[in-house]
Amino acid sequence: MRVNPNPLTDLLAAVAQTQQQINTDLEQIATGQRINCPADDPAGATMLVRIAGKTAESDQFLRSASGLSGEMQNADSTLSSVVTDLQRAISLGTEGASSTVNASDRAALAGELQGLQSQLVSLANFSYQGNFVFAGTATQTAPYVLDSTSSSGVRYVGNSNVNVVTVGDHLSVQANLPGSQLFSSAGADVFQSIQDLITGLSTGSNIDVALSAVSQAYDHINAQRVFYGNAINQLNAQQTFLNTETTQLAEQQNNVGGADLSKVISDLVNAQTSRQATLEAIAQTQQTNLFNYIK
Amino acid sequence: MSSLSTSLQIALSGLMAEQGALETTTNNVANINTAGYSRQVPDLVTRDPIVEDSLTFGSGVDLQKIESIRDPILASQIQQETQTQGQWNALVSALAQTQGNFSTTAGDIGTAISNFFDSLNQLSTSPTDLSLRQNVLTATANVANAFNTAANRLTSQRTNLDASVEQAIGQVNQLTAQIARLNRQISNLENVGESAGTFVDQRTQLIDQLSAQIDVSVIPTDNTLTLTTATGTPLVAGEQSFALSTQLDASGVLHIFSQSRDISSAIVSGQLGGLLEARDQQIPNLQSQLDTLASGLANAVNGVQAAGFDLNGNSGSNLFTPPPASGAAASLSVSLTDPAGIAASSDGIAGSNGNMEAMYALRNQGIVSGQTPTDYYSSIVFNVGNAAANANSQQSASTLVLQQLNDQRSSVSGVSLDQEAANMMRYQQAYAASAQVISTINSMMQTVISMKAS
Repeated sequence: MRVNPNPLTDLLAAVAQTQQQINTDLEQIATGQRINCPADDPAGATMLVRIAGKTAESDQFLRSASGLSGEMQNADSTLSSVVTDLQRAISLGTEGASSTVNASDRAALAGELQGLQSQLVSLANFSYQGNFVFAGTATQTAPYVLDSTSSSGVRYVGNSNVNVVTVGDHLSVQANLPGSQLFSSAGADVFQSIQDLITGLSTGSNIDVALSAVSQAYDHINAQRVFYGNAINQLNAQQTFLNTETTQLAEQQNNVGGADLSKVISDLVNAQTSRQATLEAIAQTQQTNLFNYIK
Repeated sequence: MSSLSTSLQIALSGLMAEQGALETTTNNVANINTAGYSRQVPDLVTRDPIVEDSLTFGSGVDLQKIESIRDPILASQIQQETQTQGQWNALVSALAQTQGNFSTTAGDIGTAISNFFDSLNQLSTSPTDLSLRQNVLTATANVANAFNTAANRLTSQRTNLDASVEQAIGQVNQLTAQIARLNRQISNLENVGESAGTFVDQRTQLIDQLSAQIDVSVIPTDNTLTLTTATGTPLVAGEQSFALSTQLDASGVLHIFSQSRDISSAIVSGQLGGLLEARDQQIPNLQSQLDTLASGLANAVNGVQAAGFDLNGNSGSNLFTPPPASGAAASLSVSLTDPAGIAASSDGIAGSNGNMEAMYALRNQGIVSGQTPTDYYSSIVFNVGNAAANANSQQSASTLVLQQLNDQRSSVSGVSLDQEAANMMRYQQAYAASAQVISTINSMMQTVISMKAS
């Protein structure tokens, strides 16, 4: 059988193939990635797109959750000041209800209560980063305005709407409690009860009734604070989860798209060895033919 | 009756035959690196013997013809495979360019869409924040840019492919004209019984080159060849070649004509086949998928915008300019310029984020042909990656097959220096022997002449 007398093209094709392998290996080493374009692994590239989308989403949820958590902590500590003020109001009212105080003492107590009331108005008008957090969704205007025509001395100009923010797959948290629910709840109206107490102390009548209304308001605010406590806990737990998820996604990303460097390097060494061997073989075998021996 | 002069004639025929044989060896060695050259062998035949009474005398040797050694079946297989390879070569390089648009980078469509939804979620935490609203507008512009860039690159790639088509057609026309000329030379030679080996080699070589460009089927006829495309469009008939021409259609796409018949969709392999497949199928498919994604996203976002209220309590107006039915990706643009115009609110009050939440929810809704935007985009990435990977492996396979076929052709037709050296020695020895015979006859003649003189 006659064989191909000029195998050089075959040999060069083999050299080109190992060179291709070397180039691929070098690219993987340089980028650290196994998938450098979709054709490297179409299914893997598809997964990488999804993982990248998921990672961006998790990162964003983390930002949102931490921002929200900051806002809620501020709202909660504002409510804690409200609670303190109400406690003080109760002790002032209790003192005023005692039979040992006279009218001028009560007037002094009523005066302090008035100070507390304006403090409470300013607390209810608490704003965080330019938004009034107890105004429902009407966050651009202070929700409580002083109004002498109102029996409670203030008027609520916010609304009763709430915002909900997505901070995870199928996880949304309510971001705010409107003032109408917190401070102006029927039967537990903070400003009405304080106003009634002031009136009671000034007139010396119905102090007990007003005092029990302040107590109810106090209980109500405490009960509502649970909402913030729960939401903050939920957000903290979600942040922990998202951090874990981000780590897992990075690991997944690396599993799918990362280059196995030890394997790539060993491939590279093999390819280089094979390339050298082929080149040497070409150089050796192509040197001689019968013409060299004809004398 | 045998005579010394007859012997001299016989010896002379040996000298001349060996000299001719040596010439074929010389020619083989000279053409060892000539592309498409088939080695030649001398065809030595005994001259007709002379019969005298009961004796039959040989009368020498003739170099009857010089034959090129080739296998026509192999040649046709090589042409077939060259067509396949030409097709995959063109597709591989076209798709390598195409898939560049779909690698994950800072500005690719997938990342832009992710960033867009991220900006919505961020705005949702503080819906009145103007800088967050500006972020949403910027992210929206980035989405539009990413679509524009990818779509424009695909379009300009099609234009570039047209330039390659034009070039390939030029080459096809040149090759068919050359083949027609060779056909004439070959049939002229063969009609007078001459060997046309070298011209046939050249023609085979040209048909190989033609096969790399376009699908060719070769129909041998008397002393000549007819070439057509696989679907029967004539390229060469004997001494006549039929040039292909090109013309732009209304949409600026180049069409290929043979004698005023549009054959663009009838070309199936060769470089042209690959170029046309990339230009008319692969890339338009991708473009329409991008359009589906762009319009699905833009329309869904606009729909949610319209349901909500902006910072000033007005009903939301379009965030994206409503995309046209075709070319949505290329023309996607942001309609809204005022960040206050983003309709985050669901109750008409500035601080509400209800509508932003609704818009964010689009991220996980099947708003693009029943798939989420990211999933749809990832399936585009799969399609382009899969097409490119398939073309790569087909190209490798075809290269391997072609290499084997060429190897086989070379084992039949390739010049072996060892063989030629051995032949040279053989011819040289035979030549020397014949010369020695002549010198012997010469001395015998001298003997005869000196006999007469004495």
